[in-house]
Amino acid sequence: MNEPLTLLLIGVLFLLLMFILLQPTKGIIPTIRRNKSANQKALLEDALKFIYNCEYNNISCTLNSIAGNLNISADAAAGIVAKLQNMGMIQVDKEYIALTSEGRSYALRVIRVHRLWEKFLADETSMTEKEWHKAAEEIEHKLSDEDANKLAAQIGNPVFDPHGDPIPTAKGEIPEKVGKHLTEMKPGEMATIIHIEDEPHTIYSQIVAEGLYPGMQIRMNEVNDKRVKFEANGDECILSPLIAKSITIGPIKLEKPVEGKLKPLSSLKVGEKGIVLGIAKSLRGQQRRRLMDLGIVPGTEIEAELESVTGDPVAYRVRGTTIALRKNQADKIYLVKEEERN
Amino acid sequence: MNTTITANKKEIIIAEANKLRWELGENLHDILMENIYENATEIAKKTVKYPDTKIAFSFDRQLDKILTSKYFGFPIMFLMLGIVFWLTIQGANYPSSLLANLLVDTIHPLLKNFAGSINLPWWLTGVLIDGAYLAMAWVVSVMLPPMAIFFPLYTLLEDFGYLPRVAFNMDPLYKKVGAHGRQALTMAMGFGCNAAGVIATRVIDSPRERLIAIITNNFSLCNGRWPTQILIATVFIGSAVPAYLAGIVSAAAVVFIAVLGITFSLLVSWFLSRTLLKGEASAFSLELPPYRPPRILQTLYTSLIDRTIFVLWRAIVFAIPAGMVIWLVANITIDGVSVANHFIQWVNPVAFIFGLNGVILLAYIIAIPANEIVIPTILMLTVANLGIQGVGAGSGVMFELESANDVAAILQAGGWTLLTGINLMLFSLLHNPCSTTIYTIYKETKSVKWTLVSTFLPILMGLTVTFFVTQIWRLLGN
Repeated sequence: MNEPLTLLLIGVLFLLLMFILLQPTKGIIPTIRRNKSANQKALLEDALKFIYNCEYNNISCTLNSIAGNLNISADAAAGIVAKLQNMGMIQVDKEYIALTSEGRSYALRVIRVHRLWEKFLADETSMTEKEWHKAAEEIEHKLSDEDANKLAAQIGNPVFDPHGDPIPTAKGEIPEKVGKHLTEMKPGEMATIIHIEDEPHTIYSQIVAEGLYPGMQIRMNEVNDKRVKFEANGDECILSPLIAKSITIGPIKLEKPVEGKLKPLSSLKVGEKGIVLGIAKSLRGQQRRRLMDLGIVPGTEIEAELESVTGDPVAYRVRGTTIALRKNQADKIYLVKEEERN
Repeated sequence: MNTTITANKKEIIIAEANKLRWELGENLHDILMENIYENATEIAKKTVKYPDTKIAFSFDRQLDKILTSKYFGFPIMFLMLGIVFWLTIQGANYPSSLLANLLVDTIHPLLKNFAGSINLPWWLTGVLIDGAYLAMAWVVSVMLPPMAIFFPLYTLLEDFGYLPRVAFNMDPLYKKVGAHGRQALTMAMGFGCNAAGVIATRVIDSPRERLIAIITNNFSLCNGRWPTQILIATVFIGSAVPAYLAGIVSAAAVVFIAVLGITFSLLVSWFLSRTLLKGEASAFSLELPPYRPPRILQTLYTSLIDRTIFVLWRAIVFAIPAGMVIWLVANITIDGVSVANHFIQWVNPVAFIFGLNGVILLAYIIAIPANEIVIPTILMLTVANLGIQGVGAGSGVMFELESANDVAAILQAGGWTLLTGINLMLFSLLHNPCSTTIYTIYKETKSVKWTLVSTFLPILMGLTVTFFVTQIWRLLGN
C-alpha cells in the first residue's frame, strides 16, 4: 500500500476527482445545486412573471408564448396555467390569459426580489452585468418578503434596478410605464437612456458590449429600417433597429446637457490637465462612491502626474492630493482636455 | 383619533415621496453630490488662501520620478527591503540571546528552585514553570527583538511616504492576480509577522482585495519561521553537498522557500479572486501622500505600542495555555506511555505517506501559538520519544541546542532523512497560521468562514505539496 507509484496515482486521481466535482459552474456539485432550484414553484412564479410582463408591455399572452418563454412543452405549460387558475392567480378567457389582482401582487413580489437583488449585485459586489440577471432568476424564488425588505433597507430602498426598471414597493405599487423606444426618436433629438431590457440575453450582451447604460445622454443622428445611428456621451454608436428596440429613452431632466466629444481620463498624458464631466454609470456602488469621495465630480480639474513603471496605474492630481487609478477606472471617467475647452 | 389622522397623513406623504422618487430618476444622489462640491468649491475659492507650496511640491515630483522610474524603481525597492531585513536579522541576534539568557537560563532555574523550596507538587511545577512560563519566556525572547526592530523600520518607511510608492510600482503584478497593489506592503509586513501583516491589510480599502490579502498573508515566511528554515537547511541540505558549498546551498534553499511563498501567495490570490471571492465588492484607489520627514519618536511609540506590544501580548496569551498542553502531553501517561508518544506512534504511518513523521505533526499541533517554539518542541518530543538520556532538561521541557551538529544528531536518531528535512521546510511554509494570526484574522474579518479558509487552505496545500514531493522523491530514489 505504501508503494510511492500507487500513492502517486491515487493522489493524482483524487485531485482530478475534486476538480471534476467542485469546478465552479461546470463542476458536478454546482450543477446539482442549480438543477435543484428549477422546481415546480419556480416554474409557477416564472409563468406569473411572464404574464405580468405581457400586461405591462401591452402584449397578449397565450399558452404558446408561456411555453416558449419558460422553455417547456405546451402540455407542461397547460398544466401550469391550470394550476395557477386553481390557485386564483389568473383568469383564462378562451385564448386570453389575465392576472387576478392576487396574481398581480404575487408577480410584483417576485419581480421586487429580482430587481432588488440585481441592484444589490450591481452596487455591493463585483459581479459583472452579464451575471446579475441569472443570479436574480435563482434568488427570486427563494427570498422571503421579510428578507427582501431587509435587503431593500440595507441598500437604501432603491427605486430603480441597474437596468432602469422601477422596483415595486413592498405593497406592490409600481409606476406607469414611461418613455419610448430608441427607434421612435427623431434625428437631432436629445434624450437620456432610462431602461435597457435584459432579456433576451444575446441582445442585452451586445448592448452592454457597446458600453451603453441607463443614465447615458444621447443625441440621435439617423433612424431608418436598416440602422439607428446616435451619439452616446459623444461617441458615435450604430445599432440595428432590432437591438435598438430594447432601449427605452426619456427626456433629460436634472442632468446638465453634455455637448461635444468626451475623452476618457486615461487619454491624458503626464502633465496634461482636464475638467471632469462625469463618471460612467457602469462604475457603480463602492467604486463610484470612492471616486466621488475623492472629489472626482463634474467641474473638477484633474491632472495626470505620474506613470508607474509599466504605465498602469497612473497617479492623478485632484483637489490637492495625488491618487493612483487603474486604467480600467480611468477609462470610465469622462472629461474635456483643458486646451480644447474653449 | 388625532393620532390616526397624523398616521394617515404620514403614509400619504411617504407614498407621495415614493412616487416623486420614481419621477426623479436614479441620478438624484450623484447630482446632489455634484452640487455640494460645486458650492463648496465656490465658497473655498472666495475665502481660502493657499500658502505657496511650490518648492516642496516640485521636490516631491522629482523624488517620485526617481522612485517610480523604469530603471531605478525596482532596484531601490529591493535595496530598501534588503536593508530592513538585514538590520532585523542581524540586530535581533544579540538582544534575543540576552533575553533567552535572562528568561530561560536564569529566571527559569530560579523559579524551579523557588517552587522546590515551597514544596510545590512536581506536576504543578511542571505545568506552571516548565510548561506555561517556559513557553511564554521562549516566545518573548525570540519574538520581541526582531519585531522591535522590524516594525519601527517599516513604520519609518511608511511615515516618510515611500511605501505607497512601492504599492504603486507593484500594482500591475497584483492587478493580474485580482489583488490590490498594497498587498505588496502587507506581504512585506508578513515577513516580519503574519498577525501584524493581517492587521496591516486595513490599508486596503476594497473588501475583496482585503480578504485576499488576509488569506494569503500566511504565505509570507514570518520571523518565527526563518530560524526553522535556516536551521533545517543547514542541518540537512547543507550537509548533503560538499562542505565548501554548504553555506551557499543552504542559504539558496531558504531563499527558494521564501520565493516559493511569494509565488504561492500570488497563485492563491489569483485562484481566490476567480472562485471563492469572485463576487465580493472591489474598488481600487491608492493615495500617494506627499513626502515628509519621518517623526522618529512618534514612530517608535506607535510601532512599539500598537504593533509590537499588541502582537506580543496576543502571542503570550496563547503561549501560556499551549505551554501547559505541551508539558501535559509529554507527562500524562496511559499504560506507562505518554500521551505524546501514543499520538506519535498512531500518526506515524499517516505522516510517512507525506514524508513527515508523528513528531512533526504533533509539534505543529501543540506549538500552534508561535512558530518560534516549533523546533524546541520537536527536539523535546524526539528526545522524549526515543528515550535519549542526558539531552534536554526533562520530559515536557522545551530546549534548544547551541550547535547545529547536535540538532542533526538528535534528528537523525529520530529517523530523519534529507526528505524529511525538505518536507519540514515546505510544511513550515505551508501550514496553518499561528493561533495569534488566526485570532487576528477572526478579529479583522469578523467571519468564521474566512477564518477557517485561511486556516485550512494552507494545510491542505502543504499536505498536497509534501505528498507529491515525497512520492516523486521515493520513485526517483528507489
